[in-house]
Amino acid sequence: MCLAIPMQIASISGHTARCAIKGVERDASLFLLQDETVKVGDYVLIHVGYAIQIISEQQAHSTWDLLDQMPDA
Amino acid sequence: MQTAKQWLDKIWQLPLSAPIRIMNVCGGHERSIAMAGLRDALPDSIDLIPGPGCPVCICPEQDIYQAIQLALHEDVTLVTFGDMLRVPVNVSRQNIRSLEQAKAAGADIRPIASPREAVAIARAAGGKKVVFFVAGFETTCAPVAGMLAEGIPDNLSLLMSGRLTWPAVAMLLDSAQPAFDALIAPGHVATVMGPEQWQFVVDRHGFPAAIAGFTPDSLLQAMYSVLRQHLEHKRFLDNCYTQVVKSGGNALARHLLDDTLKVVDAPWRGIGVIPASGLELQPAYAEHNARLHFPRHEEQARRFAGAMPPGCDCAKVVLGNIKPVQCRLYGEACTPRSPVGPCMVSDEGACRIWWASGIKER
Repeated sequence: MCLAIPMQIASISGHTARCAIKGVERDASLFLLQDETVKVGDYVLIHVGYAIQIISEQQAHSTWDLLDQMPDA
Repeated sequence: MQTAKQWLDKIWQLPLSAPIRIMNVCGGHERSIAMAGLRDALPDSIDLIPGPGCPVCICPEQDIYQAIQLALHEDVTLVTFGDMLRVPVNVSRQNIRSLEQAKAAGADIRPIASPREAVAIARAAGGKKVVFFVAGFETTCAPVAGMLAEGIPDNLSLLMSGRLTWPAVAMLLDSAQPAFDALIAPGHVATVMGPEQWQFVVDRHGFPAAIAGFTPDSLLQAMYSVLRQHLEHKRFLDNCYTQVVKSGGNALARHLLDDTLKVVDAPWRGIGVIPASGLELQPAYAEHNARLHFPRHEEQARRFAGAMPPGCDCAKVVLGNIKPVQCRLYGEACTPRSPVGPCMVSDEGACRIWWASGIKER
């Protein structure tokens, strides 16, 4: 439950962001990042449907590599 | 940035003589360690101990029992994170022992992956009551706080079994013989709550500590740090996940947690009450508190209420006192296909992780 997943923001509507990871798209809440400047193209760390932190592209990719290696994460 | 191989080389070059035990408190860390085979790659003197890093595993048995009874006997839809469905409670085999069995018996139980889904299900329920049974650590409770602060429908109530990680570590450190010598602190808990929460490990207890991310290089960097702290008798909280863990954490999330949830003394399954380790709804959210709005369905003198299943050593596994393979049931009576204890049920349970990583024999 604590392994948050990085996704890239494709579009934003209110507190909801359409996010993508490797062709899969999902809505996530930006409610916990209201105090930050979050924009389309940014990478965010998503946990149970909520973005909890903005991260770098490099950090996103290293976590994706890790997730790819896990059989059923 | 250095690679996992480089960190491993640096660890092998350290003048380690006496054994040292390094505990992690996050199922995600344990998963990365097991999947990357770090135990086999490190010197024998380093013992990596999975600690209290699985919120499903320590979720009070009485709360799961209550969730099952609510789903069976009240006119509600019960939603919960998928991991909770298969966790057994202590009732005889003729009775319904898990949310999964209650669902098969016709109860309206739906696994969800996000608090957002709980809100969506409640909105679509046409006024039917929806109970969201929440087990989780800080990383999960912050989104729940966000959900509450954003506003939830009147027909949605919460059965909160939220828990804080650091008080469990504090309890272990306060015990006569902690089962570890150094700590790897959880990266995503620190992302939300801030790294400062773990400073007490160093300041109050003099234990080496480092915050790690989830990639092997970040975990190995944190291990290298605590090993050097140990060898050089220097202690400091080393943030080895600075790309994500910022000073103060996510200030808004912390603020919302304070606003919506209050810290209470709380039971951990098979372990007992840990002071100031639980998250319960603030009085302002009383109308959404399922504990206040439904009868408590506990039977008088139900045997083993609150305990781990009889014969199951999950509590010792959670506390780091034994390894999964040292449980008498591991791989015999208890496998992911037919789990006895919660540590074999949850994706974050040490037993499940060890089994999935290929350790099939005791």
